Amino acid sequence: MSEHPFAITLDAGSSRDNRTGSWRVERPIYVDRMPPCNDACPAGENIQRWLYHAEAGAYEAAWRGLVEDNPLPAICGRVCFHPCEAACNRGKVDEAVGIRAVERFLGDAAIAHGWRLPERAPATGRRVLVVGSGPSGLSAAYHLARAGHEVVVREAAPRPGGMLRYGIPKYRLPREVIDAEISAIEDLGVEIRCDAGVADIASAMAEGAFDAAYLVLGAQLSHRVQVPAADSARLLDALAFLAGTEAAEPVAIGRRVVVYGGGDTAMDAARSAKRLGATDAVIVYRRNRRKMPAHADLVEEALAEGVTVRWMSTISRVEKDKVLVEKMELDSAGFPQPTGEFTNLDADCVILALGQDADLAPLAALEGVEVRDGLVVVDAQMMTGHSGVFAGGDMVPAERTVTVAVGHGKRAARNIDRWLRGETGGPPPRHELASIETLNTWYYADAGRTVQPELEAQRRQTGFEEVVGGLDEPNALFEARRCLSCGNCFECDNCYGVCPDNAVSKLGPGERYVFDYDYCKGCGICVAECPCGAIVMVPELI
Amino acid sequence: MLRQIEGSRAVAEAVALCRPRVVSAYPISPQTHIIEGVGSLVKSGRLKPCEFINVESEFAAMSVSIGAAATGARAYTATSGPGLLDMAEAVFNASGLGLPIVMTVANRAVGAPINIGNDHSDAMALRDSGWIQLFAETNQHAVDLHIQAFRLAERLSVPVMVCMDGFILTHSVERVEIPTQEQVDRYLRPFAPQQVLDPAAPVSIGAMVGPEAFTEVRYLAHARLLEALVCIPELAAEFERVVGRPSGGLVSAYRSEDAETIVVALGSVVGTVKDVVDQMREEGLKIGVVAVTTFRPFPEQALGQALEGAHRVVVIEKAFAVGGRGVLGAQVDALVSDRGTKTYTVVAGLGGRSIPEASLRRVLGEAIRGELGAMSFLDLDRVVVDRELARMAEDPRRAPSTARVPRDVRENAARIV
Repeated sequence: MSEHPFAITLDAGSSRDNRTGSWRVERPIYVDRMPPCNDACPAGENIQRWLYHAEAGAYEAAWRGLVEDNPLPAICGRVCFHPCEAACNRGKVDEAVGIRAVERFLGDAAIAHGWRLPERAPATGRRVLVVGSGPSGLSAAYHLARAGHEVVVREAAPRPGGMLRYGIPKYRLPREVIDAEISAIEDLGVEIRCDAGVADIASAMAEGAFDAAYLVLGAQLSHRVQVPAADSARLLDALAFLAGTEAAEPVAIGRRVVVYGGGDTAMDAARSAKRLGATDAVIVYRRNRRKMPAHADLVEEALAEGVTVRWMSTISRVEKDKVLVEKMELDSAGFPQPTGEFTNLDADCVILALGQDADLAPLAALEGVEVRDGLVVVDAQMMTGHSGVFAGGDMVPAERTVTVAVGHGKRAARNIDRWLRGETGGPPPRHELASIETLNTWYYADAGRTVQPELEAQRRQTGFEEVVGGLDEPNALFEARRCLSCGNCFECDNCYGVCPDNAVSKLGPGERYVFDYDYCKGCGICVAECPCGAIVMVPELI
Repeated sequence: MLRQIEGSRAVAEAVALCRPRVVSAYPISPQTHIIEGVGSLVKSGRLKPCEFINVESEFAAMSVSIGAAATGARAYTATSGPGLLDMAEAVFNASGLGLPIVMTVANRAVGAPINIGNDHSDAMALRDSGWIQLFAETNQHAVDLHIQAFRLAERLSVPVMVCMDGFILTHSVERVEIPTQEQVDRYLRPFAPQQVLDPAAPVSIGAMVGPEAFTEVRYLAHARLLEALVCIPELAAEFERVVGRPSGGLVSAYRSEDAETIVVALGSVVGTVKDVVDQMREEGLKIGVVAVTTFRPFPEQALGQALEGAHRVVVIEKAFAVGGRGVLGAQVDALVSDRGTKTYTVVAGLGGRSIPEASLRRVLGEAIRGELGAMSFLDLDRVVVDRELARMAEDPRRAPSTARVPRDVRENAARIV
């Protein structure tokens, strides 16, 4: 006889006697999907992963996650055009996570704290030549050095950084940031030789006994179009003008400056002109704003600084102190066509920002290199037609941004490493995309995006002080915590809580969960209630 | 110590003297001052150790009390009217599991229409929930009953409801003698639970039980509740020994020994009836009153004895079975009608309506003269009721049923005054 009150208190029974797992026809499995931010990142960063660390305030761990893929977070955190944010699922909920701002916070924190890049692998004895010290060359040099190869970077300019230094104005990218991140790479043992341009790749490789080369010569030849100009007219090339702002004595431009072109370089040129004392900085562009190739952020900032734009206009003639501008109209195919209507525009000088070409002369002696439309053709491994010679950055067909260049550098380095080791194959296949439809956004609290501080307009017209400020620690933490963790378990315990069979076990912090298939009856509630789409049902195979 | 104190505050002090380990409640008028009082005693540290748990509903209040009691903690809660109904399922669970929870019910009407005034509809709705139900006549009585309730609950492992009239008792300031902590500690020893939920010795309580055992479970609960009829007088006597004041028990009689007419009532109205009895005694009428202190379990024997010799019994009730009869009245009638004693049920004081002495005198006079109906409603506004019944009878939407029902009501109207 039991000592308990009759039938009210019973000996402890357990529902574990009933192995409900035998009822199952489908089983839930945990999956990792590709978050849209990672998918969109040209540098192949595991953004979600480093945000996950940042969310916990583990900033050094977050930065270490970042530099697995990109050694230039303080730079990219300022100048990347953040395709990750355009892809961010949170943008469909309220506003995209300010990924770039958090990246910048981490990059700046690393500089402030002197965090060192990861140690190199044991030396392989192989030598790789990198030609060009722009973002792509720096990225490749870093990854190659980490893999244990000896790397020499040759740079034609007096200082390293390529377009980072000579193409992007200081107010977008302070020089001490460039210097800090480059010196961190140099600290790894990467040798960067400046004022050491390469005239002939083949002989440079032979002389230095290099086993492979990565060519990132950039695109530094400004497009010249035939603009009729009087002898007295003052015409400047945008790249030379921007590089000149680095000099002690900037180029004289006068008060009224016209910039011809509609790309990022045109914006930078017009904004720099304003800072150098131009009262009028007018951009003349042949199409409308929607068709303008410049990134929207830069256009907004330029307009906010008082730069004006003559849309649908071309320059027909440049004279001493004025330009003749012809109004255009778009035809049915969207191409601008002349209208025959002209106006005069006062101009002390005209800056041409009509695009750049690569100077491929150093490759001339390399056999097998294919050039198409002025660009070097590379295969999926970033290798040119000449075995062992890889190329990337602005000299290959791709979008011309810093982050694309960084991505090329990483990809090229990894492929050079495989090539040197005689390995084949590529990166593992990508996971399925974590689209917004796979998420349960209901579970996430409303949280508006953190706004970065901006320099007031007056100070933006008088000097090259950085325009966009960084986030402070609480704001960076808040922004990191806005991440939805699309497609990857962040251990919210929802599945653990909703399982009617107690068939979800916790494996401890960072270790996620495991299903107990003896009891999981395949109801799928965990799948339905997973906020981030990290569980799917699959049929039982009998 | 003799104090001039609000009824709710006095009860809070009494509860604190009983050293509950867990108090979980949700505020509702007219109970609010009681739990505010207990809460402030916990916060000030006078009642320690005690966990005061604010919950989101009365259902939660009772559920938390169940959990606390099951783990061996002395548990207390309080509620009123609709609050009691909100927790109804858990109220049954508490008694079914045999958990000695003490709950104050500050009696309040149950809507609709919403009404926060006093009557006994709430306690009567749960009269068969397996709890002991004690009704306090005065605030002093309420204090004494709470102390006895903890002792009784733990002695039998049965929950106890102490009913006190909302506002009439809870909100009135009167002289109350609060026992000392030493007295209460002597009377009420630390809780020694009959069983305790303990992870080291796991059991399942309240799990599914089928028809093969359910009747037996209910029979055992019934037997245990009947045992209270023996325990309650014993514990009242012990209380008197320790505290020096007679209080509690099953029933309490006043000038009823030789009475031809005996009034039976629950709660604070007994005080008014006593005054009326005194007046009518002076006029030479043989009349007395018996208060039913213990309503559940129903003290058939004690009440039967108290009513012996009466020619007629008038039951004053603050609730009734709508469509049936008075609740207490029906039970009294079943008890004494065999003896030839005539019983009358007078429904009074619903939704906080006053019960004036003059009305009581009038209705008792009618009973004595044999003019009172078997069931009547004190101070019913006949004009309003008749007008409304007539309007209902003429309403074509209601014609099929009202054609008959109002006629029945009208036929009874001669008896219902």
